[in-house]
Amino acid sequence: MTATMYAPRAMPEVDADGDVKLCVDGLSVYYGNFQAIKNASLKVPENCVMALIGPSGCGKSTFVRALNRMHDLSPDVRVEGTVTLDGEDIYAKDVDPVTIRHRIGMVFQRANPFPKSIFENVVYGPRIHGIRNRKRLMEIAERSLRHAALWDEVKDRLDKSALDLSGGQQQRLCIARVLAVEPEVILMDEPASALDPIATSKIEDLIGDLKREYTVVIVTHSMQQAARISDYTAFFLMGELVEIGKTRDIFFKPRDKRTEDYITGRYG
Amino acid sequence: MAIAATAGSLAARERTARRRMVNSTMTAVLWGAALSIIVLLIFFVGYIFYLGVPVISWHFLTSPPSEVAAGGGIGPEIYNSFYILVLTLIFTTPVATAGGIYLQEYARPGPFTSLVQFCAESLSTIPSIVMGLFGMLVFVDLFHWHFSAIGGALTLTILNLPALMRVTQEALQTVPTTYREGSMALGATKWQTIRRVVLPSAIASLTTGIVLIAGRIFGETAALIFTAGTSVSVGRSAYDLGLFHQAETLSVHLWYTHSEALVPDVTKIGNGSALVLLVMVLLFNISARVLGRALTKRLTGK
Repeated sequence: MTATMYAPRAMPEVDADGDVKLCVDGLSVYYGNFQAIKNASLKVPENCVMALIGPSGCGKSTFVRALNRMHDLSPDVRVEGTVTLDGEDIYAKDVDPVTIRHRIGMVFQRANPFPKSIFENVVYGPRIHGIRNRKRLMEIAERSLRHAALWDEVKDRLDKSALDLSGGQQQRLCIARVLAVEPEVILMDEPASALDPIATSKIEDLIGDLKREYTVVIVTHSMQQAARISDYTAFFLMGELVEIGKTRDIFFKPRDKRTEDYITGRYG
Repeated sequence: MAIAATAGSLAARERTARRRMVNSTMTAVLWGAALSIIVLLIFFVGYIFYLGVPVISWHFLTSPPSEVAAGGGIGPEIYNSFYILVLTLIFTTPVATAGGIYLQEYARPGPFTSLVQFCAESLSTIPSIVMGLFGMLVFVDLFHWHFSAIGGALTLTILNLPALMRVTQEALQTVPTTYREGSMALGATKWQTIRRVVLPSAIASLTTGIVLIAGRIFGETAALIFTAGTSVSVGRSAYDLGLFHQAETLSVHLWYTHSEALVPDVTKIGNGSALVLLVMVLLFNISARVLGRALTKRLTGK
């Protein structure tokens, strides 16, 4: 294994002031014969934002998709190791991935609203989880859209197609859609990479608000974004989790030479 | 130097001139091909209308056919064409769409899936006359149904299942994977995802596909001659829902009058029937578009 070039690192310390929400231990992900994630371990404390950074193709998206079992949908992907949510192994045999994805929501790189009305997009989750009462759904829609800072822009056209919204609005709609199912953890895979600076800053402000109620793991290719919004940062390189720590430690006193090279712009 | 070489040298200028010439020649060739198809089509359709319109009358469209005397109509044939079409769609659509959904959404790539695909593709290339003879052996001889509407419809079902399954698969393929991921990531089950996101997004192309296949079923002839028969009323009213009655369709009638009938006005009946068939198939195609668009609007709010 190529990772043996460097001494295996002890599982990074996480501050004691939060409970551990997600714990990843010895995670490896394979696409056929290619190992995209090499034995990664980390802990995500509750109610904080963890950023995953690294150059393109380093495996950070692959890693985050392993946290809510999205890889189950692709037949040729194999996941090894354990991921626990509140101490419960989400890959255990008797665990239904559907309930895991209910508790761990996900926002994708490209906004992917359904070709339905704005309202139907937001209440999609509550509906599939059995809520039928129209008044109740309306309350959920308003609360979620307010929370995602989109309500004022769409309140007069909830029955219009979500596809007519701008890219930034679509992405906030997707966040509202996740909030509507009240998950515990929200995974975000480069949610602002296709957006202009103004839409990006709206999403970033939103993420800052979200951590009061949720635990957020966000993949980003922008180090400035990681520095602005995250409490913890994990640096991936070629499938290996090189370093993890408090964001300011990673940026100001990285322990690994490779992290330092990346932070100072010598890679990607 | 590079610029001088491309813009300046005689060879380079010649190359440019040649590329331009090839470009305009190809444009002309492709344009000409498209034009000749359109001209052919207009001529063909125009000719059918020219010969058919004088024949069309209320009497022609509603009266029963005649065996020996001139002046027979095609009323029962039009009715039977629709009747067999509806029966066929009732049998085909549920099985074909379910099969298509299975193959596209559930089946993991492997020997079994490839086998099913291969069988479906082979089945869809079988000539319809072969299917007609198969239907005769099974439904007419083996089951002793004689010539019957249901025998014809079941033969057409076998004939069109693979195509409709393919149409379903193709319709589902047009739905972006991101929709499925988005739904699954919200904790939806696979079936919820298919029912609430995938199918509504695919319904327009699915409907279009079904209606186009309906047009094909409507015009099918060879598979029906020996299964549904060439007569419309043997000891019964020509318009009823009897599954086990002979049910000659419009296209079969067209073939029958020209090959075996004794009536003197064969050409007239042929011209009229051809026009009716053409208009019907045209209507199917137009309604496929209209219906597809309306459904998309309704189901996706777009």
